[in-house]
Amino acid sequence: MSNAQIEIQLILSLVAVACALPGVFLVLRKMALISDAISHSILPGIVVGFFITHDLASPLLILMATLTGVLTVVLVEYIQKTGLVKEDTAIGLVFPSLFSLGVILIARNAGDVHLDVDAVLLGEVAFAPFDRWMYNGMDMGPKSLWMMGGILTMTITLLSLFYKELKVATFDAGLAASLGFAPMAIHYGLMTVSSVTTVGAFDAIGAILVVAFMIVPAACVYLLTNNLKKLLIFSSLLGIFASISGYWLAHAMDTSIAGTIATVLGLIFFLVYLFAPNRGYISQWYKEKQQKTEVALLVFLLHLANHEDEMERNSNHLQEHINWSHQLARKVLKLANQNNMIEIENEIISLTPKGLEFTEQAISYITDNKNSELEGIKQNYFLFRG
Amino acid sequence: MLMALVACKPSVKKENSKFTVVTTTTMITDLVKVLGGDAIEVKGIMGAGVDPHLYKASEGDVTKLSSADLIIYNGLHLEGKLVDVFEKMNQIGKETIALGDFLAHDQIINSELFASSHDPHIWFSINNWQTITEKLMLSLIKADPENTAIYQKNGKSYLEELETLKIEMNTIITTLPKEKRILVTAHDAFSYFGKEFGFEVVGLQGLSTATEAGVKDVQRISEFIITNKIKAIFVESSVPKRTVEALQASVQSKGHQVNIGGQLFSDALGDPLKETGKYIGMYRYNVNTIVHALK
Repeated sequence: MSNAQIEIQLILSLVAVACALPGVFLVLRKMALISDAISHSILPGIVVGFFITHDLASPLLILMATLTGVLTVVLVEYIQKTGLVKEDTAIGLVFPSLFSLGVILIARNAGDVHLDVDAVLLGEVAFAPFDRWMYNGMDMGPKSLWMMGGILTMTITLLSLFYKELKVATFDAGLAASLGFAPMAIHYGLMTVSSVTTVGAFDAIGAILVVAFMIVPAACVYLLTNNLKKLLIFSSLLGIFASISGYWLAHAMDTSIAGTIATVLGLIFFLVYLFAPNRGYISQWYKEKQQKTEVALLVFLLHLANHEDEMERNSNHLQEHINWSHQLARKVLKLANQNNMIEIENEIISLTPKGLEFTEQAISYITDNKNSELEGIKQNYFLFRG
Repeated sequence: MLMALVACKPSVKKENSKFTVVTTTTMITDLVKVLGGDAIEVKGIMGAGVDPHLYKASEGDVTKLSSADLIIYNGLHLEGKLVDVFEKMNQIGKETIALGDFLAHDQIINSELFASSHDPHIWFSINNWQTITEKLMLSLIKADPENTAIYQKNGKSYLEELETLKIEMNTIITTLPKEKRILVTAHDAFSYFGKEFGFEVVGLQGLSTATEAGVKDVQRISEFIITNKIKAIFVESSVPKRTVEALQASVQSKGHQVNIGGQLFSDALGDPLKETGKYIGMYRYNVNTIVHALK
């Protein structure tokens, strides 16, 4: 591994964590797309910066971009606070206006200058190791490493200072206000941090990957846990994992580093979506199937309890009476038998004392409309599940 | 200019390995291949048809750049943010050359509004390309003195080829009456060409890729096409043709006719295996296409 390769992976990991931390709060607050919005809305800042300096490489352009980024989030936050429109609409109202303002400024005043976000701000991580910070002739390492390190330190410091406030303000703004936490200030602060991180990260690694780093790790981990601490820690780890594995995949295929990492993140999300224990697709599908069988069992037990007539309780005629497929009938019969709810004598099915007790309780809960209690008795009575 | 020459101290070469030069655009790759012949290992990072302004790097570029003995790029912000990176590489002991630095001030076209901004499409002036060839040859000799003879020989014969090209192009263009020398293209890439051969050049789109042609621009230019009885307008290999087609439609809606004269190579050469994949072939193709369509 060459020095440049180590440095690239370090920068990527730093950016991944720096983006994942605010990303968790943005995803929770349904503001995830703010980073994408910022990639467009900073254009007028860059244009004005250029009008002042007449120099495309001036750091003032980046500073103006950051300020416009903050302006973007302040406007979004303000519009959203009015309660007249939803979060995504607020974002959609702000960034096209700002971007267009930039385009108009260029078209009217600087049509013959190579002036756009790509030329001025958006970086390429492959070249990051070559843009170094020299101090008194000493090589201090890549500039983006220092910049992202600084931003990450700021984020972690603010996060640990205001963790409790952030947590309450994110999940329950009303409660936060009554506790005296000033949720407005917390939200504006969070959005400002996100905006500074976004612009800094754009400079280091380009736009698309920043959007991916902000959203995907948080969205993945959110399928696995609701715990805020775990969300923050595992989103960061997932970002680092995707960075390093994506980097080596890009190395093997000699392709864009940012593109490959973003693809790896997308694949990880797909896998988590399929296999997550509780909220995943497979687990949801399994649960739904289980619930169907449980409902069928209950219907069957009620049927038995309601009918004294032996004809109605003959195991061979069961499917006609309740209108079931042969398969479902057998499955339900087996489940009831396994749980000792029924006994079968000469093809006549009757409830065991346990089955009778269960059914009676279920009836009383259903008539009293206490559906939640039904879950409880399932836990108490079921030995085997379908 | 001096800066670039001073920066080219002879570099320490690894044993048994060729002098390695990394280049950015296809035009520069072609030039260095011509000058270096077998003496130089040329690694171009941008392929055919790539807009240098929007180039996306691949992982392999990291190794290419780290292992390069010399990096040669266009400069004048053609390669976007990459130019900043190259400029800073000198600090860490990597040698880089910006071809734009080889040109004198009066050889570069400045932005009308911002004196500090320049038109980076310097290769469309054959005179400029000759200056660049000559100075690049000297820089290569300085950086890799062992192969002085090769660079001198290749440089000399290429300068002659460029001179022949210039005469040939002049002959073709003279067949086109002066009042017909108006070139309408997708974006402002041909100012140097226009200056050299007396063409009036109109770009539909500005230099920046963020702005698109405004409705008023399209109206203004279509009026311009009708008043000047321009027969053809042109699309470019590295810019989408949509805007040029819109212009054609606008002229037609006013009851006039304008052809799309063909596709010109602007920010990148064509397929490296064909004639248009070389600077001279590209120039010949562009001029023939333009003159043929405007006659």
